[in-house]
Amino acid sequence: MAIAAPGQLNLNESPSWGSRSVDCFEKLEQIGEGTYGQVYMAREIKTGEIVALKKIRMDNEREGFPITAIREIKILKKLHHENVINLKEIVTSPGPEKDEQGRPDGNKYKGGIYMVFEYMDHDLTGLADRPGMRFSVAQIKCYMKQLLTGLHYCHVNQVLHRDIKGSNLLIDNEGNLKLADFGLARSFSNDHNANLTNRVITLWYRPPELLLGATKYGPAVDLWSVGCIFAELLHGKPIFPGKDEPEQLNKIFELCGAPDEVNWPGVSKIPWYNNFKPTRPMKRRLREVFRHFDRHALELLERMLALDPSQRISAKDALDAEYFWTDPLPCDPKSLPKYESSHEFQTKKKRQQQRQHEDAAKRQKLQHPQQHTRVPPVQQSGKGHPQMRPGPTQPMHGSHPPVAAGPSHHYGKPRGPPGGPGRYPNQPNRGGQGGGGGYGSGPYPQGRGPPYGSSSMPGPRGGGSSNYGVGAPNYPQGAPYGGSGPGRGSNMMGGNRNQQYGWQQ
Amino acid sequence: MLAAGELPDNHNRQFEPSNFEPTTPRVLTILSFVLERIVARNDQLADGLSQQVNGVSYGSARLGKSLNVFHGVRAPNISIPNYLERIYKYTNCSPSCFVVGFVYIDRLVHKHPDSLVVSLNVHRLLVTSIMVASKMLDDEHYNNAFYAKVGGVSNAELNRLEIELLFLLDFGIMVTSRVFESYCLHLEKEMLLAGTNQRIERALVDDVTEISVDDTQTSSPPQVAVVD
Repeated sequence: MAIAAPGQLNLNESPSWGSRSVDCFEKLEQIGEGTYGQVYMAREIKTGEIVALKKIRMDNEREGFPITAIREIKILKKLHHENVINLKEIVTSPGPEKDEQGRPDGNKYKGGIYMVFEYMDHDLTGLADRPGMRFSVAQIKCYMKQLLTGLHYCHVNQVLHRDIKGSNLLIDNEGNLKLADFGLARSFSNDHNANLTNRVITLWYRPPELLLGATKYGPAVDLWSVGCIFAELLHGKPIFPGKDEPEQLNKIFELCGAPDEVNWPGVSKIPWYNNFKPTRPMKRRLREVFRHFDRHALELLERMLALDPSQRISAKDALDAEYFWTDPLPCDPKSLPKYESSHEFQTKKKRQQQRQHEDAAKRQKLQHPQQHTRVPPVQQSGKGHPQMRPGPTQPMHGSHPPVAAGPSHHYGKPRGPPGGPGRYPNQPNRGGQGGGGGYGSGPYPQGRGPPYGSSSMPGPRGGGSSNYGVGAPNYPQGAPYGGSGPGRGSNMMGGNRNQQYGWQQ
Repeated sequence: MLAAGELPDNHNRQFEPSNFEPTTPRVLTILSFVLERIVARNDQLADGLSQQVNGVSYGSARLGKSLNVFHGVRAPNISIPNYLERIYKYTNCSPSCFVVGFVYIDRLVHKHPDSLVVSLNVHRLLVTSIMVASKMLDDEHYNNAFYAKVGGVSNAELNRLEIELLFLLDFGIMVTSRVFESYCLHLEKEMLLAGTNQRIERALVDDVTEISVDDTQTSSPPQVAVVD
């Protein structure tokens, strides 16, 4: 048997994966922990290079090698791009097991199998949530451009990511952004004829076609997620924090209008359309709700959050959008500020103490709804409208206790309070293994904690279910526009939620 | 020995999942044919070599070092066609998995030229590579424990073989539709040379009709049967 496609033979880049032992690395510290196992920051002894080691959990005998890991490895092996996380190699550890005679038992992988990734300092959500963090417009453009560039690369290589969200976008201290966690990714064909599962993408970032049960879909699903992230960066908090599928769809319809055969030809043929069809007419309110956004940003967002996937903008066209070519231009990644690297795992204990403290405080402040609020980007002078935005004043936030040198990485840790409403009510089981944050293949739940403020919660404005309340200032005065403003962020242990979200540069 | 003439018998077979097309996909026939020829040739070669060096251990070590872990003590009683059919019948994997499994085995012997597919290792190679292919391709698939039962090896051994295969392949398990097609053509050509004109059903593919994500519910019977 002997055929090979042209160029297929002898294409081995580097030494065989798995040929090296994990002993080539010195584990520096654990930076992630979860049901999937551990993620370590480590140094390659020979070169001194810092890497992230993700252990592949192998303890489910019936399942064998975790399928999410196989797929992630398979796909990352093929993708090489500056905006896609680089899987450097796979290393093994023989482990201590010996057979009865004291010889190694022949299973050279018993001790574990590790994926070796380039080390990244932060993830986007972690970075955005840092105390005192405040992104400039040029910085947001810079991240968005990199996100779209990486995604475009995936899409031209016929890979759908299917789990785009902030905690899967890793950022290093050179300002580079890379897509990570390809445990849900898959190849697609251009004809969209394959039946794919609709149970992908973290709920808050899941597009309407998947929520309506479509099984034929394409790259547009990722663009919806990008739109959600884009809006989140501008808005300061997640725009569709649904707690389950019906609520998720409802939140989408409230902002984007209800789909019908006019604005989305063919929608009525999607499996669950009739189950979820809104009973009352709902108009698209995107432009109205986000009217304070920069004109070009709003234009781009409109096209990313198109209900009809066939009308949704592609990554390539998005990169050509006016937004990226008007002042202020996306900045050079290298010009971005460097943030102190920190990991949630390290500060876990501290956070737990803090949380207990806060829970006690919260009990005294009954009925204060929780809101996840970030400060919108710094507005360039002379441009646009003031971006004072909305949202409740919330001194406390139970699920995000302040912490010194706030964490930038999730590494797969659920960040919300335990026992809260699940954010991933209907997620596929990812084999019970996975990765830390963006380092991939993480089992749900990961990323941010449970959704906040369901519609049944009394809104801070008394405003029912809307998330977009325009009005009440949500941060202390003076903060949002102080480009290099006063050191509000310095009091990070202060326990004041507003300070948590008073972004600064 | 398989033959195309065996096919009609299969119409009477009972398949547990009812939405199943009751014919053995042609790919099984073709693959059996090709593999049996390879194994027969390699067995001869191996015999010759081990006689030459006057020592079986030397011969087999030389021939299959990288495949040692796949070697059984003696060849299983079940023929290759029956083994493939058994895998197909019980795991309900899509026919494409057999082509992709073949791709894996072929890559393996190319990557490790000291290895030969022989009657001592072909069964384990097959069940392992088809299982990995199914993990890659099928929306729903059985877990390793089930494949182990079907394949007649222990769960622990199959897990070890799986990891071994993945590392021997250097995790090169992506099969594009172009490569898939070229392997189909190759297999068909082999049949043609043998005087039988058979076409493989192209149900696949690309790594493209592969997977979805809720395939971890592996203990439930697969519902997706991509046949023809």
